Amino acid sequence: MDVIIENLPQYWDGFLRTLFLSVVSGIIALIFGTVLAAARVSPIAALRGFSMAYVEIVRNTPLTIAFFFAAVVLPRLGVTFQQFEVAAIIALSAYTSAFIAEAVRSGVNSVPVGQAEAARSIGMKFSQVLSLIILPQALRTVIPPLINILIALVKNSSVAGAFYVLELFGQGKQLANANGDVVMWVLVGVAFFYLLITIPLGYLASVVERKVAIAR
Amino acid sequence: MTTQVPGDALVSLKAVNKHYGQLHVLKDINLNVRKGEVVVVIGPSGSGKSTLCRAINRLETIDDGDIKIDGVELPAEGKELAKLRADVGMVFQSFNLFAHKTILENITLGPIKVKGVSKGEADKDAMALLERVGVGQQAPKLPAQLSGGQQQRVAIARALAMKPKVMLFDEPTSALDPEMINEVLDVMVQLAKEGMTMIVVTHEMGFARKAADRVVFMADGQIVEDATPEEFFTNPKSSRAKDFLSKLLTH
Repeated sequence: MDVIIENLPQYWDGFLRTLFLSVVSGIIALIFGTVLAAARVSPIAALRGFSMAYVEIVRNTPLTIAFFFAAVVLPRLGVTFQQFEVAAIIALSAYTSAFIAEAVRSGVNSVPVGQAEAARSIGMKFSQVLSLIILPQALRTVIPPLINILIALVKNSSVAGAFYVLELFGQGKQLANANGDVVMWVLVGVAFFYLLITIPLGYLASVVERKVAIAR
Repeated sequence: MTTQVPGDALVSLKAVNKHYGQLHVLKDINLNVRKGEVVVVIGPSGSGKSTLCRAINRLETIDDGDIKIDGVELPAEGKELAKLRADVGMVFQSFNLFAHKTILENITLGPIKVKGVSKGEADKDAMALLERVGVGQQAPKLPAQLSGGQQQRVAIARALAMKPKVMLFDEPTSALDPEMINEVLDVMVQLAKEGMTMIVVTHEMGFARKAADRVVFMADGQIVEDATPEEFFTNPKSSRAKDFLSKLLTH
């Protein structure tokens, strides 16, 4: 127990970095994932094909590969970063957006087809139908799965600890090495700080879900 | 059949065909609707009347033939089609009000986003339309809070807000409880009296008698009869129409 209190500054530092990675990657993934879902239902075949290929490849390969790609392969191709955080954000948001895209797509499919027909019949273009009518309704219905994905993202960010980013898990690893006799307590501390993010997220989900529910 | 001058037609369908796989749902359809005319399309279910209605604003594509609105051929897709659809009001069987928007927003969305009308002006016009169809009180509510009859009247107002040249009604009362049918039909009769061009797919024979200039009877994807309501109901020519009407009247 003491080991947690004595090392609070490290924990706090790691916690903030985990929070930062999660928030930034989460926002990018939400946006890119929604764009991918929109591409998937667009009338342009090339966009549909790209979206489908992206989702299938990224969703079905381990996150570690995405990290290797961002942290090792990209720099060799000439894309270098000052900080490893950038690579971590690229990997996390690229990986998470594939799942977001699938969730949003299921939401799009849940919107009755009559909504799009009505929007088209008053003269809306495809982009307007999508952004004004379909997506606002689709996103509301997929809030629970979206929050699930974001919770997974918070936990997935621990992989960054293996790629030189001193986020919560990275700090925990260092603390565990330095305090070999009380590893269990070190990890309890790590878990506690993860819960500090993920439990409020789950709570947020239920509040938001109730607030934006659409009656049909 | 009533005589038609094709050049005069606001909506014209020429040799229109459509298949769903093996099923030939529209067989060589020719139909002209003049400005201000109210045409009621009736027929047994599966006769293709809804498909015909939806083809006119290209919610259904056709295999061949051509459809013209006010002399302009229906564009294939994209911006041009969207523009043309803005001139063709559509009322659906299942209302299809935008579930996440208030009643007022349902009306104003089209004028604001498609026509670029200012919000103030769109709100004012929308309120006038809602009053006209008798649901002004409901403006701030969400669609799900309204009865079916009220929702359908809002849907009519939404279509009217675009100031369409022609209104299409695809079985507008079929999803309604019996006591709500009349409030919707009253709005439609009023609209017909005001000179709106209307194509109405319906099972409401009372409406056809009261408001229609012509009755088009469809069966098996074909237009079997095209006559005045008086002619059609008292003296149908085809055996299909006689059969259809006798079934209606015996209950």
